[in-house]
Amino acid sequence: MPARPLTTSTALTLLLPALGLLAFAGASRAATDWDLSLDARLLNSNAEPSFMEGGLGTVRFGDRDSGVQLGRARFALTQSIGELWSAHLDVSMFDDRDRSPVGVTEAYLLFRPYPHNGYRLRLKAGAFYPPISLENRAAGWESPYTLSFSAIDSWLAVEVRTLGLEGQLEWLGTRSGHDFDLGVTAGVFGWNQGAGTVLSTDGFTLTDRQTPVFGRVGQPADAPLYGAEPFLQFDHRDGVYGGVEARYLDRVVLRALRYDNRADPNEVDEVSDSYAYNTTFNSAGARLEGDHGWTGIVQWLDGQSTTNGDGRPETWPFKSEYALLSKRFGRHTLSARYDWFDVHSINYFGHGAQSGHAWTAAYVFQANAHWRITLEWLQVVSSNYTREELGGPLQLTETQLQLAIRYALGSAIR
Amino acid sequence: MRPPARVPCGGSAARLAAAALWLLAGLAAARGAVAATLVVNVRTPDGHALPGAVITVRPLDGPGRRPAPVRAVMDQADRAFKPDLLVIPVGSTVEFPNSDSVSHQIYSFSPAKRFQLPLYRGKPYPPVHFDQPGVVTLGCNIHDQMLAYLLVTDAPWYGRSNEAGAWSSDVPRGRYRVELWHPRLREGEQDLERELTVGDADRAELTVQLTKPLLPAPLAERPHSWDY
Repeated sequence: MPARPLTTSTALTLLLPALGLLAFAGASRAATDWDLSLDARLLNSNAEPSFMEGGLGTVRFGDRDSGVQLGRARFALTQSIGELWSAHLDVSMFDDRDRSPVGVTEAYLLFRPYPHNGYRLRLKAGAFYPPISLENRAAGWESPYTLSFSAIDSWLAVEVRTLGLEGQLEWLGTRSGHDFDLGVTAGVFGWNQGAGTVLSTDGFTLTDRQTPVFGRVGQPADAPLYGAEPFLQFDHRDGVYGGVEARYLDRVVLRALRYDNRADPNEVDEVSDSYAYNTTFNSAGARLEGDHGWTGIVQWLDGQSTTNGDGRPETWPFKSEYALLSKRFGRHTLSARYDWFDVHSINYFGHGAQSGHAWTAAYVFQANAHWRITLEWLQVVSSNYTREELGGPLQLTETQLQLAIRYALGSAIR
Repeated sequence: MRPPARVPCGGSAARLAAAALWLLAGLAAARGAVAATLVVNVRTPDGHALPGAVITVRPLDGPGRRPAPVRAVMDQADRAFKPDLLVIPVGSTVEFPNSDSVSHQIYSFSPAKRFQLPLYRGKPYPPVHFDQPGVVTLGCNIHDQMLAYLLVTDAPWYGRSNEAGAWSSDVPRGRYRVELWHPRLREGEQDLERELTVGDADRAELTVQLTKPLLPAPLAERPHSWDY
């Protein structure tokens, strides 16, 4: 088999860890931070089998999963390498019939020089999330407000990851007598030709599972997805994104980002029998934090996915929005979120068309640094053309109630 | 061995006159140095007291004495600087221990003092010397939510307003420039300066009424594990 040409992102992804190791060799003062957590669920659900089971359920757990389940077992390590480099590894087990029981959700090297004249550069290389989500701000790319992510962030967790390089340039106004900071971000990545496969087949979901890097979504024998692999590289084209961020003191964060995986929709990977999906989207969001523990978040996403895999062009425009309101009372947090989502299918059969909305209500009790208890009620009302084609109802209301108990240990947790 | 003290001998009228003049001059100086109490009150636009405002006072007639340098400590605990604002005289030193179990990496690119303390825990570095007046903004290069200020001053009198928004000090009678500073003030420097004369009364009072609403206070109690 002929060797595939090395793309820019591949070269950078290989080069930067090598540089990091060199820096490590010269390290005089290295620090290690680690954390370990176990999240167990007691749940009741009336939903269809989930996408990991090969079904079209819009939540993570279907009715057959009611009872005790593993939410997530996670281990994370941050290792300082010399003065300005650090390496971060996030490993998780979700126990959702994954291809591999343990997977890496993020692994990257970070170069963070000191600010210079008010400007700061940051470079990241490896596998990580692009800076889009405003709710998933806790360690392990989790939300401190709810168990299940919004439809937008659930999709990112399932299919989108930067496997490449990201640079961020910030102007730190709050460190020089102003009340706001500004930043621009640009990323170049590979291995994302499959992004859009799950969204155009199953539609949006509200879940908290994150596809491990090079992991599989769904099961190979089960229609309609037949096991998708979002993190594939077979068209030798790098994807790109560019974004901006503005922060007002520690109160307001505004973000916007344009993403294009630049996949060639005519390409087919014969090894995995996967089509390339050209997926592009714009996203924007705002997070406001006020006095007395109030937080409000809105996010918006609008894009489309196109493939030509079986000889005819197929396109799915997609759109989603959500608004979240949260109030913290000491160790207690109450949150409510409304999601709206739509996948349009402008194809001959209309398959993949989906629309709906969801309500999420969650109560989080952070007993201490180690123990956290969360109760979440999630209801998704959706209309799904493919579900009807496969003999299910077009309209469906699915409800999932979860009680989560999480225990965490770590070098920074006392 | 010390030489024996000289015993004045002879009734030198000139020497006596000099001594008398010296005594008179000393008395006159002491009359000028008689202290009065200067009270500065800081009020927000809606009339509430503003605690924690930094007040510096400089004499307009002469350079005044330089305040004595101090040795201060700014700790880092729960991924925050404690305290998050210190006022120190020029020439002072500040120690920055890290009491957290995670490493911090402190920096400042403020013109009054540019420095950085490479990644550390505990107390591995000697205190930092601050030899220029001005505001020094501190951050941690790993935990962006960490923010603190040092106000380095060459003013002979300085302090921070109390819970009632007031600060006071005994100062010699004379003319003064009073300046206010706080990270949450929106006013320009010139709007935060006042001049006043401390005259014959035992007490001089100045109330500074701010005209612009304060910037919001830093959010308290946000879990420090967020935005890792």
